[in-house]
Amino acid sequence: MPVDPLITAVQQANSALELLQATAALARCGDAAAAPTLVEVLGFNNPGAAVAAVDGLIAIGGPAVEPLLRLDPRNYGARAWAVRALAGIGDVRGLDLLVEALLTDVGPSVRRAAAKGLGSLQLTAVEGDARAGIEQRCLDALVEAVSDGEWVVRYAVAVGLEGLALGSGWSDAHPCHGCTCAALSRLSDTALEETSVVRLRAALALQRLQPS
Amino acid sequence: MAGEPINEDEALARLRDSGDPSMQYYGAWWLGRNRSQHPEAVPLLIEALQQRRPRDPGAGVEENAVARNAARALGKLAPAALAAVSELLAALADPDDGLREAAARALGELRAPEAVLPICARLAGGPAVAGARQSASPRLVEPCEALLEALGDIGAATPEVLAVIEPFTRHDWPLIRSAAARALLQLSGEPRWAEPLLTLLGDSQLQVRRAALMDLGAAGWRPAVDAISATLAENSLKLIALRGLVENGSGEPGDETLLAAMDALL
Repeated sequence: MPVDPLITAVQQANSALELLQATAALARCGDAAAAPTLVEVLGFNNPGAAVAAVDGLIAIGGPAVEPLLRLDPRNYGARAWAVRALAGIGDVRGLDLLVEALLTDVGPSVRRAAAKGLGSLQLTAVEGDARAGIEQRCLDALVEAVSDGEWVVRYAVAVGLEGLALGSGWSDAHPCHGCTCAALSRLSDTALEETSVVRLRAALALQRLQPS
Repeated sequence: MAGEPINEDEALARLRDSGDPSMQYYGAWWLGRNRSQHPEAVPLLIEALQQRRPRDPGAGVEENAVARNAARALGKLAPAALAAVSELLAALADPDDGLREAAARALGELRAPEAVLPICARLAGGPAVAGARQSASPRLVEPCEALLEALGDIGAATPEVLAVIEPFTRHDWPLIRSAAARALLQLSGEPRWAEPLLTLLGDSQLQVRRAALMDLGAAGWRPAVDAISATLAENSLKLIALRGLVENGSGEPGDETLLAAMDALL
């Protein structure tokens, strides 16, 4: 199906339900030309449509990154959804926004998505030193967020640290490996982490990183 | 200003200042939220629990606002707040149903076995009496949802308690049916009480789906994991429900399956 009528349907939607249905149809088409319109939907204050738009943007992947990064930072609602989309896409160009979101966003669900995203950036195409630098920034941000006040963010940090370490190929002797394990040990320590499910998830991550 | 970050000493000072209810209200909330272990916290909250003030619609303040918040805070301060059980039981008999609701929730959080009989007595009339609508308000005669949930949390699974709860699984309101099924599931562990909750996950109202999510989590009903993941609701709530399955439940599916389901919702 051509993308133009699907875009028109989103622009002309007259009710929340129409917007949701038109957005879901546009998101399903997977055409990169849909990205700017899907990004616009993020700012419409319609959570159902925004969820559909995020799914569509993640499916589009790389071509959706630029329009997402162009969003006005003052449009808080749209930026929160954009963080989720960028976390799902895993494109390195989203790194700055994900780090900023994890460390400063007021919404726990935004910090949660950012933490997971920092553990699942697609770095296979990035070479050598550049890749090491990106991994270091992801690690530093995740380690800092170990003391986040919300359990669900700390849970996502454990998941992010596991994903980052498994994707990086750090040897057991690499300083980053040690740093990751120290952060996970803290999250799995009864004396330091009050939420049982966070301790459990961090212990599982440690077990996967240190098979004995 | 009431909204600025304060410390424990400031919260205690505000609670002591009976001249300013809005300051006391915030002080009580702070002590509960931060699980204060200060030796003065519980005695001051017990004192605040005695306050009675009419609603002030102009200031947007609910009836007995300070007392209600004191009850809520006491619920979060186990074990020290076990010293407040008799005062909370007295609040459970207050004419203000909003205060009764806060007291019931606190007694449930404190797992106070002394509360089982008084709560059952309030529910004994069943859906047609305790669960009837008040004449001049959209509220029920008794705060049934809080009373039912407290029975489930306290955990006294006697035939008498189950018989008091069971009729509420046929209440007109889905939220009450959800609370009753949750309590029965917690107390009896019988799979048949999970069925109404799984049905409510597909309700047309978001508010009902949210309540069923929280209730399955509170009961730790692990077989609900896939149904929870598929529910049309915010991932934040589904994550809280799945956390409940991990922390409150046991058996199959095991921890790793549940954690994988949580990972997928981040």
